[in-house]
Amino acid sequence: MSNERESMSPAQLGLGILWPAFWTGLPIKLAFVLLFLALGMVHFETRIGLAFLMLLASPVTVFALPTITLGLESHIGEGVGIALLFLLAIPIDIWALGIVGRTFFLERLRREPQEGLGLTLWWKCALVGAIFLPILWVAVSATTDATISAVRSLFETDLLNGTPVAEKISIELTLWGTVAIAVLLLLLVIGLWLVGRVIRGTVESARPTSESYQGLITRWDLMRVPADQGLMLTSLTGGAVVLSLLFWSSLPVFTPHPHDCCKKPEVKATPAFKPLETLNKDEKMIAQLAAQVELLEKQQAEAELAKDKNKGKGKASKDAVKAPAATEPAPPNAKKP
Amino acid sequence: MSHTPSTSTQATILEKVIDFVDERVGLKLLAAKMLNEPVPGGSRWAYVFGSVLLFIFIMQSVTGVLLMFYYVPTADHAYASTQYILHEVDYGWFLLSYHFWGSTAMVVCVFAHMSQVFLWGAYKKPRELIWLVGLALFGIVMGFGFTGYLLPWDQRAYWATTVGVEIMDKTPLFGDFMARFLKGGATPGQMTLSRFFVIHVMVLPAALMGLAGLHLFLFRSAGPAGPFRGTPEELKAKTDYFFPRQIWKDIVGMAAVFACICALAFWEPVVLLEEATPDPGDYHPEPEWYFLFLFQLLRLKIFSGEFGQFLGAIALPGAFMALLAALPFIDRDPERNIFKRPIALIGWVVVMAAILIFTVSAIINREYLD
Repeated sequence: MSNERESMSPAQLGLGILWPAFWTGLPIKLAFVLLFLALGMVHFETRIGLAFLMLLASPVTVFALPTITLGLESHIGEGVGIALLFLLAIPIDIWALGIVGRTFFLERLRREPQEGLGLTLWWKCALVGAIFLPILWVAVSATTDATISAVRSLFETDLLNGTPVAEKISIELTLWGTVAIAVLLLLLVIGLWLVGRVIRGTVESARPTSESYQGLITRWDLMRVPADQGLMLTSLTGGAVVLSLLFWSSLPVFTPHPHDCCKKPEVKATPAFKPLETLNKDEKMIAQLAAQVELLEKQQAEAELAKDKNKGKGKASKDAVKAPAATEPAPPNAKKP
Repeated sequence: MSHTPSTSTQATILEKVIDFVDERVGLKLLAAKMLNEPVPGGSRWAYVFGSVLLFIFIMQSVTGVLLMFYYVPTADHAYASTQYILHEVDYGWFLLSYHFWGSTAMVVCVFAHMSQVFLWGAYKKPRELIWLVGLALFGIVMGFGFTGYLLPWDQRAYWATTVGVEIMDKTPLFGDFMARFLKGGATPGQMTLSRFFVIHVMVLPAALMGLAGLHLFLFRSAGPAGPFRGTPEELKAKTDYFFPRQIWKDIVGMAAVFACICALAFWEPVVLLEEATPDPGDYHPEPEWYFLFLFQLLRLKIFSGEFGQFLGAIALPGAFMALLAALPFIDRDPERNIFKRPIALIGWVVVMAAILIFTVSAIINREYLD
């Protein structure tokens, strides 16, 4: 056991700290990712897997990401939320590295963790990441591009030109994928080794503990549990409630990505139907119209009467010339309606 | 001697209710048995997958029930009702997208859970039955994915099902019966939709609940396997109970998976293709992503022709599943450390690499078809 601790390589040391620290901070980071997505502050591009990895590995990507984004013109998405996410990841990572570092020092290295271990580990990891990750990015991208073109040119030769499409795709992928993954893994091991080398100074400055194994485990176990569990549960529940409320209040009611087939027609709101008011209105209108009809009929009758009178006058003047009989009846249309 | 009961010793209403139930069903004993299970070597993040799977299933049931309030399982209305859910129902797009990505998460977690059990050597004696029931549960999860895929009744759903049923048809003895039973006619239609719907919402959930209960019972009977490394002194010192350490890790795991599914629902919400027709038109039929590797495998020249298709679609996957089922009885070596089981480690890497390569190949193959 003692030998195992002494023979721990820098790569093992780096992995032993970074791997659990990534996962410890991830759930909290994810809650913020979700909230920012709901608020529309983050728009990840198609490479969501890469975005996830970048966020997961934020102790080492926190300064490397701006370099990759600005210097190498490659980005994982858009929106102010991405910068905010990486900013929020700083205190989360310091906390996660603190917890993981303290338990790792005590349980695996049998050394007393120093004060402010989280911050020390964080800046060392971030520094290594800022220098090494852009190099890794360039190296893996260049290797992948070169291998893809080499493999494609290999399949353009006469010997392999007739290879069926499905076989060609799988063989090509296997060839360039193997080379790219081998380079990636090799560089990751080198990166972990570098982190381990940088951390080793902090490890060596920590004082070895002389406590019994059972005593160490008891301390290690208590380190993973907060001193005031009630306070932690209350604050976590409170935080979860606030985040849930924010999430549901910002969640779009309808799909934020409407499909072309289902564009919503513009619907104008129709006034509400009120039966009593409509009846009264209709009654008024009928009465008004009836009065208008009556008036029109009256006017028409008067006009006809006036016409008849004029006709009658003209006839009378003619008859006066002829001297009509007094007993002759009046014409029927001369009567009043 | 006078008895003056203080207010602090008086039982609250909640305590009285708990006592009432406890007296009748032994609630406290049950809770103690459930929560005080010793976890050898202490709690670990690697153990969260089982609980996470249960959580995903519960969430799939909840979202599934909510979707059923609007979904109409008829060939005439399935597509329109799904579009209605997506575009008219308040938060309908989120529910459907969550349900869709939840099914993907379930498949991923099943793979992770099975891989963890395999790599930890937790299928070995006395846990053979847990492994076998787990394999049956894996089949049910795949069945959920297959039957649920048809329900939106768009071109993707229709043709994925057609391809899937044709693959099933190649199974000797009962393949033809199974294909005819599922389709209910010459081409997928109303009968197919009805049958897939009933299997998806009634048969499979009932089977899953029963088998998951059995899985848990067997797990509790045999006890957790614990880590494959560490001295007896270390294991003894670190052993603690299921509550609260492991439960806390399980809850965090569930919250992380919930957040991932929600994020995916935002990033890539469900969008339907054209309504299903027996004419594929420009659409190139392909199954859901977790069957893509098998689909791509069948495109290889070696698997062309009637026999080749049978070999690739039925014989190879069948033999692989049979090997998995027989694994605890073949591998009788008590050694559980994966770094001391090179064949198991290489086998796992090869299978995972093959699945990854053929899945990505199928995605690249789309460009050639388009």
